[in-house]
Amino acid sequence: MDNQEKIPEESGRRKKTPKTYSMPPFLTVSPSPHIRSADSTTTVMLNVLIALCPAFLWGIYVFGIRALVLVLISVVSCIVWEAAAQFLLKRPVTVGDLSAAVTGMLLGMNLPVTAPLWMPVVGGFFAIVIVKQLFGGIGKNFVNPALAARVFLFSWASSMSLFPAAGEKVTSLAVNLAETDVVAGATPLAALKTGVLPDTNLFGMIVGNMTGCIGEVSSLLLVAGGVYLLVQKIITWQIPVAYIGTVALLTFLFPQSNGIAYEFMLYEIFSGGLLLGAIFMATDYSTSPVTPVGRLIFGAGCGAITVLIRYFGAYPEGVSFSILIMNLLVWYIDKVTMPRRFGGKTNGKTER
Amino acid sequence: MAYTFSGGIHVEEYKNTRKCRIETLPPPRTVTIPLSQHIGAPAVATVIPGEEVTLGQKIGNVAEEMLGCPVHASVSGKVKEIIKKTLPTGATVDHVVIENDMKDTPCPDIKPIEKKLTDVSTEEIVSIIREAGIVGMGGAAFPTYAKINSALGKVDRIIINCAECEPFITANHRLLLEHPASVINGIKILLKALGVHTAWIAVEDNKQDAVEKLEELTEDSRMITVKVMKTKYPQGDERQLVYALTGQEIPTGKLPADVGCVIFNAETCAAVYKAFANGTPSISRVVTVDGDCVRHPKNLLVPVGTPVSDLVEFCGGLSKEPYKLVSGGPMMGMAQWDPEMSVTKSTSAVLLFSERFGKKNVKVPTCIHCGRCVNHCPMHLMPMYIAQFSKIGDFKRAEDYGAMNCVECGSCSYNCPGGVEIVQHIRVAKAAIKTEKARLASLNAQK
Repeated sequence: MDNQEKIPEESGRRKKTPKTYSMPPFLTVSPSPHIRSADSTTTVMLNVLIALCPAFLWGIYVFGIRALVLVLISVVSCIVWEAAAQFLLKRPVTVGDLSAAVTGMLLGMNLPVTAPLWMPVVGGFFAIVIVKQLFGGIGKNFVNPALAARVFLFSWASSMSLFPAAGEKVTSLAVNLAETDVVAGATPLAALKTGVLPDTNLFGMIVGNMTGCIGEVSSLLLVAGGVYLLVQKIITWQIPVAYIGTVALLTFLFPQSNGIAYEFMLYEIFSGGLLLGAIFMATDYSTSPVTPVGRLIFGAGCGAITVLIRYFGAYPEGVSFSILIMNLLVWYIDKVTMPRRFGGKTNGKTER
Repeated sequence: MAYTFSGGIHVEEYKNTRKCRIETLPPPRTVTIPLSQHIGAPAVATVIPGEEVTLGQKIGNVAEEMLGCPVHASVSGKVKEIIKKTLPTGATVDHVVIENDMKDTPCPDIKPIEKKLTDVSTEEIVSIIREAGIVGMGGAAFPTYAKINSALGKVDRIIINCAECEPFITANHRLLLEHPASVINGIKILLKALGVHTAWIAVEDNKQDAVEKLEELTEDSRMITVKVMKTKYPQGDERQLVYALTGQEIPTGKLPADVGCVIFNAETCAAVYKAFANGTPSISRVVTVDGDCVRHPKNLLVPVGTPVSDLVEFCGGLSKEPYKLVSGGPMMGMAQWDPEMSVTKSTSAVLLFSERFGKKNVKVPTCIHCGRCVNHCPMHLMPMYIAQFSKIGDFKRAEDYGAMNCVECGSCSYNCPGGVEIVQHIRVAKAAIKTEKARLASLNAQK
């Protein structure tokens, strides 16, 4: 009552100065802090999309217009699946945070350009609905959605491992490519698998003159994207460095060909999806550890499993599987690498 | 050389008032003085409604043996009533409402201590500080006399906390620039009281002008040194402060005194000096009035008990629709519902924010497991895990992950891209853990 009586009096007194507001009788209370940084999930995801763009554009340049169409289908279907799943699960629709777009972009860039156009739609469903939304949405998925979908799509193994020959553009937009549409070629990794150094020259591989999935060919542009993410503080250096470092070390120590060890090592690093995986997929927030030490362990684990699969597995490519396997260990890695508390003595144990 | 700590964040500083001289607020018509402006037992009113009081007269007192300190009238005039009201911290206590007669009749008890500092004993200093009602003016409001008593014989150095790492607040900065001598004299009194020979004035490097001034004044002093620290939030937290300056971590559950340090706020030192030089009790303080709603942000010297609306009016009123009123800094200060909130001895700032200010554009708060809170936590915790355990009510695991170590600085919530109220979740866990411990203790006592 008191307050109600006071308001007219106060506003009457303050009328002299225009555009001056009076105090409301009650103000809003909320927990501190009362200021926040401008970063949000949306800005983070937008930065990832920006960082992926150079390698993606290069993919279009190398593989032709079909690459663009595939990735676009992938992005759109992921967004649609996310909105549909959230609507059906009666959750707030949050496609505006762009995380589905990132998943779609990564999934598309992980497909060979020859993949049938329905593939990213099916993959998007698996990634978004099964792996992400059914487990609780963003931040709760236990494996990387894009990678899980990619591995799911290996069910159509022949479609997933048909690559055009280097320098061959695919312009056909047919849903399923006819045999005549594409001149098949072998990826450098397939050659390495047999213990032969590929005939592509190393410099060409770094720039991106080789064949493979849409987004993985240009090592240079992938690294550029990684540097951008580092500068923007979206990712930290630990996972990519530990990952690539471990692969480099193991392939250098145990080369699988008669060539010079360091040459073999460089081919291993710059071929296949290693850089795309190490920089963009292994660093996925939800499925990577949060502590610096944990990130080093995670990266090293990914590297070791990648090399093991490349050497001894049935597939030439081990990046997807290795990251998925390490994803499952994230919770434990976080737990055992809990930082030493400020003022505490022991690791992780409560001081009582 | 700049001192610093690991973790923490670089916040937007918003120190709009760094060039605003401390202005004296025109005498308020009425003041509403809370009888509990300190940690410990609330004071009991020693005046009755209708009584005439003088400036600086004791209006509330706490029994000698209890933790707490007296409260004094910040204006002269007539006690209108004694009411129950909510403090900025949330507790409801008695408030003495005094109508100002605008005469500022001084209390006859107020007189300077006419002794040389070398002739005053520790006990005398402690009793003077207690009688003057001096509390930690940085925000915690711990009675200063009790701090001295608890540190006696344990410490070998005093640290004066002038980090002022909270955005917006410049009250200490201006005090150091305009009244550095009273701060330094206050330090000398505290050195004498504690019988130690080292005092460090710890200032963040965004206050170079104050650093220069202090260095000039302490040039001849062998006891007082100025230490410049890197500007980073929360450098003013006592644990980070001690770590930055000494490299020592205060063990969990311990106090700065356990590593030989005792920390005072700069304005507290000035208050100690005033109590000696003039006999003035703690009845006014410097308050930064700022926020995007305030037309002319200012630093004001305000009598304790002044309603916030008077401060805002003196600062040119509100230029935007106010949404939040924050008492203290934006990172750790508390939002108030009451626009008539009284300024207390520990109100370092009054901030008024519009609805959109400082908000994050996030639709549904979700942890995306990015790990920023982990990398920025000055206590080296994993805030998002504690918050998640707290959210599902698993307070046992929240405790295992170090909930009780949290200093609630807000670095995690500030940075969280998912917009999760991490600190608030941790506060919930801390409260639940404390309740549970008290319950277990009482059960054990019954056995």
